[in-house]
Amino acid sequence: MYRKQVRRRRAVLALLIVGSFVLLTITYGSGSNGLQRGVSTIFSPIQSVANGALKPARDLVNWFDQTLDARGRNSRLRTELQTARKQSVGAAAALAENTQLRKLLSLDRGGAIPSGYDPVTGRVIARSPTVWFSDVTIDVGSDEGVRVNDPVINGDGLVGRVSAVTGGSAQVTLIADHSSAVSGKVVPLAVQGVIRPNVGDPGDLILDFIDSAKHVHRGQIVVTAGWRAEEIESDFPPNIPIGEVTKAPLVEQEAQQQVHVRPFADLRDLDLVQVLAGGSRG
Amino acid sequence: MILTPKILARLVAIVVLGVLLQLSFFSQVAIFHVSPDLLPVLVISMGLLGGTMTGVVTGFSVGILLDCLLIEPLGGASLVLLAAGYLAGLFRERFEIHSALVPPLLCMGLTIFAEIGFGAIELMLGTDATVSGLIMRDILLKGVFAFVLGWPIYLGLRRILRPALVEDQAVRRTRRPPVVGT
Repeated sequence: MYRKQVRRRRAVLALLIVGSFVLLTITYGSGSNGLQRGVSTIFSPIQSVANGALKPARDLVNWFDQTLDARGRNSRLRTELQTARKQSVGAAAALAENTQLRKLLSLDRGGAIPSGYDPVTGRVIARSPTVWFSDVTIDVGSDEGVRVNDPVINGDGLVGRVSAVTGGSAQVTLIADHSSAVSGKVVPLAVQGVIRPNVGDPGDLILDFIDSAKHVHRGQIVVTAGWRAEEIESDFPPNIPIGEVTKAPLVEQEAQQQVHVRPFADLRDLDLVQVLAGGSRG
Repeated sequence: MILTPKILARLVAIVVLGVLLQLSFFSQVAIFHVSPDLLPVLVISMGLLGGTMTGVVTGFSVGILLDCLLIEPLGGASLVLLAAGYLAGLFRERFEIHSALVPPLLCMGLTIFAEIGFGAIELMLGTDATVSGLIMRDILLKGVFAFVLGWPIYLGLRRILRPALVEDQAVRRTRRPPVVGT
């Protein structure tokens, strides 16, 4: 009897392991499948409700984290406080306007987005729990015109691109994900390179393969390059802000052809994002 | 674990609620810039309560649901979580849980194992990027969060699944007051 039980357990274990490998082999690199679309359709509304209901609790926990973080930056922030105070009066008025403008313009970045795109605003409803994956799920999908490879931005800059879609939701692979590679350029030098992640540290991206003859400096801005070659073109339109150069030692530039970039978008704390749907990609 | 339709319904509810709570709450909060990972703790606790079979099946189910909702390739999370559930179940079948520290310590150790497992799956599928040293700090912090979450989750699940637990039933039988003659 005991042996029979052991044999059954081993059989279940082997079946599930083999099943996992088979599923992984079948579904890897094939985007969303029927099962995922079905589950996502059922759970998307529940996730949206849960997301809204748990927001106060999340904000409370994040407030503690941000408070701890802020204590360490107290001295630097004091010097910035004076400047911020001057801006705060204007900001309060701008904030009120912002709420209305956001509805009216649907986060249109006033010229940063080239014509031909139809921005779709979405909210982050889930994000990957492990430190190895950098992707989020948003509550807009193919029903709203979102397609795979559409660029995703927020108010600060580039966030990532759509890697899979279902009817009511889409998976966004962030620029900090190991699979991400975005062609970028440093302005005003126009030094081009590829923005690669530094896995595990979403606050640090690497602009790789730059021209070592032109020296990039700390504080310079990196935007999307948005290249086009005959019938194919980049997934990302040109001139979307990506980040700011934080470390650009000459040795690293000449030896490894790379500099470090801090993304403008806070990839750990995303809420509202905008999918640039309807682009004319070849 | 004694499976009845009622217990099965509870198990399904635990899996669904656990995944929803992880995606809607735990993944979106950060303590020291790291999000706690509830799911390995849930699977490990199930393994500790029900043995290898429960651990493995829960790990597989949680992983599949997670991959479906995150639109990830199916099977990666399942493989890692079923391994964590199996190891927890194996511990339960081979050793006695003498101390209250055992579940949280196992949750910590096996969560670190699971996070490394997720990394191994990623490497297996082909990672072409530099890996920051900060990832080690993040994995260790996830282990610490699992230690903190381990005990309440273990106790909560034990309470919910009490009617199905073989050991608890045996204890209750031995504690029944002796029948005194009339």
